[in-house]
Amino acid sequence: MKKNINVRHIIVKDAADIFTPLSLVFGFYIILHGNLSPGGGFQGGVMIAASAVLIYLGYGFKTASSAINMEVIRKGEAIAAICYTCLALLGIFFGLNFCRNVFFNNGAIGDLLSSGTIAFMNYAVGFKVLTGVSFLILLMVSLLAPDSDSEHK
Amino acid sequence: MKKVFIFASLIIFFAAGIWGAFNMMSFQNTISSDMDAVSLYNDPQHYDLSDATGVADIIVSENLDKTKAVNAVTAIVFDFRGYDTMGESFILLTAISGSMAILRKSKKWGEDDHDEEEH
Repeated sequence: MKKNINVRHIIVKDAADIFTPLSLVFGFYIILHGNLSPGGGFQGGVMIAASAVLIYLGYGFKTASSAINMEVIRKGEAIAAICYTCLALLGIFFGLNFCRNVFFNNGAIGDLLSSGTIAFMNYAVGFKVLTGVSFLILLMVSLLAPDSDSEHK
Repeated sequence: MKKVFIFASLIIFFAAGIWGAFNMMSFQNTISSDMDAVSLYNDPQHYDLSDATGVADIIVSENLDKTKAVNAVTAIVFDFRGYDTMGESFILLTAISGSMAILRKSKKWGEDDHDEEEH
């Protein structure tokens, strides 16, 4: 196998083109409707992180690392962790337990925000998982990438 | 000698499994068909729970009262077990920290080589 010739298969590239927006839209739907429909933050985040793998499979590591800013998602994961902790601390500010749901009684059952902090914690965990898993996958995949000298041609 | 111990322990496990499987035949069903979910939802404290009825219906009705979230699994994971979810999501942070500690010297990820020289 010659390493200096970079050939991507057309079937893999077209499959990546088709399934990347599907996985993005479906993953965001699962995260946003986590308290109404089956799914949640973890599942939707992993489904969005699969789109990063699809970009890598279709276009190689060079394109994936230039399309996805890895510094930003590394900081975004920490921001999501802080958001989750602050939402959990909201119960202490109201004089109740840690991780207490304080404002859950707004709206009828089935509304998006009727469950209070559950929805926002769901979004925080979804953002944390989608940034964390995609960063982890790209970090591991970078070991498989060829050197930057042979990729320039 | 080692093989004899392994053989004897496997036989003991097998016998215990068969004994447990035959004992499980006499257990009650956890879900019965004569469960009245409406009366349970209206009056959960005074519902007759002496016979084994569906636990899932009790969980869903109590969950709707306490959290107003339709998805019971998300309500349990993010409300009643918030500590657990926080630890689970911090496992991911630990995994990334360990991976970066191992793979830092490869220097192939990202295009910001000047960022690593500052440290």
